[in-house]
Amino acid sequence: MIVSDRWLTGVTTVFLLACLTFFMLYPVYDICKLSFFRDGLFTLRNYAGYFTNPRIFRSLTNSLYVSIVTMIITTVVAFFFAYGLTRTTIRGKGMFYMISTFPLIAPSIIQGLALILLFGRNGLITRYLLHTNWNIYGATGIIAAECLYCFPNALFILYTTLSAVDTRLDEAAQSLGASALKTFYKVTLPSAKYGIASAAVLVFNLTITDFGVPVVIGGNYNVLATEIYQQVIGMQRFDLGATISVILLIPSVGAFLLNYYLTRKSYSLISGQARPFLQPSRPFKKWAFTLYCWVPCLFILIVFLTVFLGSFVKVWPYDFSLTFRHYDFPSLGGYAPVWTPFWESVLKGGWKDILAYKYGPIWNSLWVSMIVAIAGASLTLLAGYIIEKKKPIGDQVLYTLSVLPAAIPGTVMGLGYILAFNKPYFLIYGTFWIIIINIIICNFTLGVLSSIANLKQIDKSMEEAAVSLGANPIVTFTRVVFPLTKTAFFSNMAFFFMRAMTTISAVIFLVSARVKLAAIEIIFLDIDGRTASANAMCTIIIVLVVGMLVVMRLVTGKTGLKGMSTST
Amino acid sequence: MGRNVRLENLTKRFGTLNAVDHVNLEIEEGEFICFLGPSGCGKTTVLRMITGFETVTEGKVIFDGKVINDLIPQKREFGIVFQSYALFPNMTVEENIAFGLKVRKMPQKVIAERVDQMLDLIGLRDWRKLYPPQLSGGQQQRVALVRALAPNPQVLLLDEPLSALDAKIRVRLRAEVKRLQQELKKTMIYVTHDQEEALSIADRVVVMEKGRFQQVGKPIDIYKCPTSSFVADFVGTSNFFEGDRIDNRVKAAAWEFKIAPSAPCLSRKVSLAIRPEKTEVFRPGEVPRDVEPSNLIPGKIEVVTFLGAAVRLVVRMGEEEVISDVIEKEFEQRQLKQGEEIFLYFPPEAFLVYPAEEGRG
Repeated sequence: MIVSDRWLTGVTTVFLLACLTFFMLYPVYDICKLSFFRDGLFTLRNYAGYFTNPRIFRSLTNSLYVSIVTMIITTVVAFFFAYGLTRTTIRGKGMFYMISTFPLIAPSIIQGLALILLFGRNGLITRYLLHTNWNIYGATGIIAAECLYCFPNALFILYTTLSAVDTRLDEAAQSLGASALKTFYKVTLPSAKYGIASAAVLVFNLTITDFGVPVVIGGNYNVLATEIYQQVIGMQRFDLGATISVILLIPSVGAFLLNYYLTRKSYSLISGQARPFLQPSRPFKKWAFTLYCWVPCLFILIVFLTVFLGSFVKVWPYDFSLTFRHYDFPSLGGYAPVWTPFWESVLKGGWKDILAYKYGPIWNSLWVSMIVAIAGASLTLLAGYIIEKKKPIGDQVLYTLSVLPAAIPGTVMGLGYILAFNKPYFLIYGTFWIIIINIIICNFTLGVLSSIANLKQIDKSMEEAAVSLGANPIVTFTRVVFPLTKTAFFSNMAFFFMRAMTTISAVIFLVSARVKLAAIEIIFLDIDGRTASANAMCTIIIVLVVGMLVVMRLVTGKTGLKGMSTST
Repeated sequence: MGRNVRLENLTKRFGTLNAVDHVNLEIEEGEFICFLGPSGCGKTTVLRMITGFETVTEGKVIFDGKVINDLIPQKREFGIVFQSYALFPNMTVEENIAFGLKVRKMPQKVIAERVDQMLDLIGLRDWRKLYPPQLSGGQQQRVALVRALAPNPQVLLLDEPLSALDAKIRVRLRAEVKRLQQELKKTMIYVTHDQEEALSIADRVVVMEKGRFQQVGKPIDIYKCPTSSFVADFVGTSNFFEGDRIDNRVKAAAWEFKIAPSAPCLSRKVSLAIRPEKTEVFRPGEVPRDVEPSNLIPGKIEVVTFLGAAVRLVVRMGEEEVISDVIEKEFEQRQLKQGEEIFLYFPPEAFLVYPAEEGRG
């Protein structure tokens, strides 16, 4: 059978374009339509309403405030951390790096939960140790939690930047007589400027679009992302929710475009001859940086330990005797399509109740995440392959649509899905399938970018060799291209799995009484005042994600996280 | 007429740039042809149009009497060897060689025999179970060579196959490629920017510049009788003098050279080229009587570079620097030294005469 290369490429391109248009552009279009039109007429009444209601309007200034403060703190802290890992000869770099990636494996909400356990109204430190009435709810809490959450993301970029810039520049400057401090200001810092700016912009974007942290620790401090949810779910004001979504889109799309521009710029500064050799640092420098690197790492470890511990103790912070009872979740309801019948058939008594019904959301999350992992990694590899290697007509459009999801905040996408697909003839609405599609689309950008980065490393002549030996496009892809991208494929799978297990913002609009997910349940448990069970749910998610990463490591011999670091 | 490859008015345009500009060539079956030129001259583009990886803007690629412009690469049955080897790193040596046979769904037994045969051809039988990164560059390229040959292609195309290798291995492998070509009597089209490689390996050399064929001919003709100043400059080394021709004399800078009366170029503004080994060095007082006095120029040896069999002198003659090669033995006997004042002699019949070109340095 002769398979025409062009025909295959064309069909795949059209398919991907159709998916992205229908599941990304269309919902956003619906949001814009709802915010600008009433009864078919163009109007700015919604916006007038937004800007004249001081409480709602404050969500904009609040969002900007926490985002900017988080951006500054995280970028500065992460920069020196990355500097320590790349430019000094401190010990334990691998450990520091690994600890700093922990926040990626948990829902962003974990930072909020831990800070509440430590500094909340019944916080271990505030109430128990210091006996103060001060608590962390509000802007302080959001900023502290977001800093921890954004830290690894900023670190990836800065680490890549600093390790790519040629260290010989530093040596040259010093050999010309510049002092260490002067070298830092005149050479190191300027050569990393685009990386720094790009990390800052990313942190800003992550913070302003995050939903999990402000919802648990924000208290009365409303930000854009939580305001959308409140207007829509709390008050059924879809028009106002749509309006706030459009307002949130402006800074987040702006940040995305700026980041895109900065990333391009920073590539031009990266020297192909960057050399890994480092002169041994002086003892004082080593001590100082070791100490410095421990600080964020300790905070991160404390967060995880607190939540972990909080899930096992009877009554935090008064009764620290251990118990498993928080893992026996209150009846969450919901139903896991495959698992419930399975557990019902193999178990009896109390266990059956717990595993078949109370753990329903966890089983749901697990199988949803597996499907997201496989489908997401496959689709993004395919899209990356088409964009990087096939370059059909319209490849620029496909590229733009593929990277655009990163610019659209999850809450906006979630609301868009309700508006666009809550129609009787749209059969997958209200099922898990819409959630699966939503998670894949929301995380499409990173998957495609890392696929492209990986495919770029495959010599073009490799494929031409296969073709000249008589292989058709399908054989070329399956026998040559895929085996060479396997590592990237598996790390993309790990990434999609992680995102599906931990994502909150978009999916919270799509769950229902029947369709439940573990990460969302953390929020509902927390809102119900069942903080310990929220901690338990969080711990279970972390265990499952870590389990997946270990499996991935066994399969590929490399960690799932490493592969992502190049593409963020 | 055998299964020839013919290029007719073949043209490739990238935007407004003519990467390949209306070239014509007939490559006979079993011929070893070499495209030689500086980077960016279009030689690889010609090759890629023959392979089918590059579309043809204008003109025809004809194989065995049929126009194959629109034939997809996998249907052309041409083998390709790449500069980067392009061995599949996820397959062993023998799996690499068998790849082209497997996709043709040949019987297992035939494949095994053919792979053995190919491995014997390059003497890498013992290495069959290894993966490409475990081999040296030279071994990898040998494997790539027989991988391309295994499905018995009509034509083998080689795109700078040796330029990623060390100098010594390059020379050895060059001879091996030549041997294989003679044994298998396969049409080979070879692209290189290395003139020594092209001259030593090919039956015919095509010298390219700016998308055009400057000269097509046997290696010896290309070297001895370059038909343009570009070829004289690019293939081997030449000294150039720009000047005005009056009969058999050319006024260039402060000198007036005598040239052979039979020199074909009749234009007034001319460019004289002379190979370094054609010049002769004389000490004052050692000059023979039968030399043409106007072609004897005083100069000073400024730089002495040892090349191995020869010694290269850079001689300053007024404003000009001229390169002169002396056989090493002779250099040794005569004890020529840096800084010495000498006479440089340019035999009239050694000058190649070309119309002067604007802007050629």
